[in-house]
Amino acid sequence: MLRRPSPRSALRALALGLIVAAAVAGTLRAAQRPPVASFAAPPDTTSTSAQPHFVTRFVSSTQGVQTHSASLVELRDGRVRAFWFEGSREGAGDVVIRTAVFDPVTSRWGNAQVAVTRKQTQHGLLRSVRKLGNPVPARQADGTLWLFYVTVSVGGWAGSSITAVRSTDEGANWSAPRRLITSPFLNVSTLVRGAPVLLADHTLVLPVYHEFLGKFGELLRIGVDGTVIDKQRLSDGRDGLQPILLVQSPADALALMRWGGEAQPPRVIVTRTRDGGRTWSTPAKTALANPNSAVTGVVLPDGRMVVALNDVGGDRDQLSLIVSSNGGRDWRVAAVLEDQLWFRDTPRGSARYVERSRRLAADTDPERAGDGSAHAESARRQMCVLRSPCAFEFSYPFLLETSTGDIHVVYTWNRSFVKDVQFNSAWLDERLKGADVAVHP
Amino acid sequence: MLPYIHNVVGLVGVAVAVATATAAMVDRFTRRRAVFGWVAALALAVMLGSWGGLPAAAYVRGVTGDLSVTTLVLVAHALGRGLFGWPQLTRRSLRALQAFLVAAALLLYPFALGLGMQDPYRLGYANPGFVGAVLALALASWLVRLDLVAVTLALAILAWAFGAFESDNLWDYLIDPVVALYAAGALIWAVGLTWQGRRRAREGGLRLDATDQGSSRADPRFRQL
Repeated sequence: MLRRPSPRSALRALALGLIVAAAVAGTLRAAQRPPVASFAAPPDTTSTSAQPHFVTRFVSSTQGVQTHSASLVELRDGRVRAFWFEGSREGAGDVVIRTAVFDPVTSRWGNAQVAVTRKQTQHGLLRSVRKLGNPVPARQADGTLWLFYVTVSVGGWAGSSITAVRSTDEGANWSAPRRLITSPFLNVSTLVRGAPVLLADHTLVLPVYHEFLGKFGELLRIGVDGTVIDKQRLSDGRDGLQPILLVQSPADALALMRWGGEAQPPRVIVTRTRDGGRTWSTPAKTALANPNSAVTGVVLPDGRMVVALNDVGGDRDQLSLIVSSNGGRDWRVAAVLEDQLWFRDTPRGSARYVERSRRLAADTDPERAGDGSAHAESARRQMCVLRSPCAFEFSYPFLLETSTGDIHVVYTWNRSFVKDVQFNSAWLDERLKGADVAVHP
Repeated sequence: MLPYIHNVVGLVGVAVAVATATAAMVDRFTRRRAVFGWVAALALAVMLGSWGGLPAAAYVRGVTGDLSVTTLVLVAHALGRGLFGWPQLTRRSLRALQAFLVAAALLLYPFALGLGMQDPYRLGYANPGFVGAVLALALASWLVRLDLVAVTLALAILAWAFGAFESDNLWDYLIDPVVALYAAGALIWAVGLTWQGRRRAREGGLRLDATDQGSSRADPRFRQL
């Protein structure tokens, strides 16, 4: 006669069965993890114009709002789509992520549309979301467009996490949001700002940063379906923010980081890889000045690196384009795109500020800004009323080289608008030919 | 635009956990199974009800994120005990699970928050060695009859393998800050009671074994999760 197993033995058998099932399922899942991959070879671009070309425009047009953190991606038909966030103030509940498209045929930016709202995000994520920020687009290897952006449920930006949405129609419509889990402690705090790069196996590397307790850069490896495959630390301590990747070859790249530390002098941080991102050198200060402000860059097909940054101490009132022809060891200033250093040494009155802002706006884009009065008033509200004393700000640049060789740099113009500067390598060459080009810094 | 299913799973997990915790707190005063059930049901309805366009649990989830499988196993047991009178967990198994959680928290959180260049959280992204180590720990726990630990680890790996929650990282299925805090508090409390029991024994001239059984048995809280 068979003896019935006791409940205790049955439970033990069930536990063993679960372990066996977990071994099978866990092994299968681990086996799906793609092996380490090098950077994809940089895409070929062909300059369609040998004539120097330099144009400035405003991308955004909403008056009286705070506008910040623009980014770019090239669409499949050669147009360029920009993203930024705007609202009554940074971090407010009414902040939305907007998008607009630049048509190279008409040389105009179209009207801005709303890409993502806070309410959409919190309903899709089924969790409260208090604020949005820092949209960064990415072209996945399968051709879909992804938009990564920062969301905060509790606290300030240090409590951020990254949310992603996907578009199969070049940004006209977006999927339900997906939150990337990148930290075990309440998923704080991972933020995004730098442009992603593709790896040879078609996965994506997204440069991100952490700013709760420590300030350091990291790389997230993301699959075509948006899953996080791996993460890697670029720095530690309390100094490095907002890394960008400058990929020279499948094996060689450097990462530049915004200086977020206390020790003087404030300088851009650099770390390098020679083995396709498997290992990175110890982060070190460069000679590039940085007033705790974002940097951006691209590598041209001829190997030159072009970087846009606020290369001054103190404020973000000067924005320069710098170029390196030797892999980031030495830099030369190609152009100073914005320079309002003079304002630091004057009584920072709003009348003087408004008059200069008006002229700057009119010079930038007379078609959109007219005589610049409305733009100057928007700038005054952001830079004289909501803060004191008045100050100019040209910050958060984002560079993109299109497949036709045009280079766009978009950036925050006095926290009020997004400005686009478009040029080509012929213009850059001409700038660098000048005998008076200063060695940086 | 429907939410991903893992967001629904995570939301329900948070709602059930809060409802169970609420019912368990009320149960301390009433000790009646029916009351436990009604309070749990009411709290669950409140958590899943809409407040300002979102379920109340969505606000909790905004802070905590998804709860780990470990938390949900403990919640499921508390729910079964409150509703159906399931037997309590053995103290040995519970202590082992708490010790595992505290060790994992100490290993994970300081480095994940930026202490140094190495981040153990990285291992959770399908590192075969880490998956193997967790499986080995589950099997070892089963062999030494720490069934709670074994089942919890196995369920965590299964849930991760099938992508039940929004995280792609195995660590998030094993541990979360809420359960780590609970484990640390429970262990500290247990150590305190043991120390107090020994002191009383010394003062009273009694002789006790070097376990916490003498002191914790007298405390009804140790019979509950």
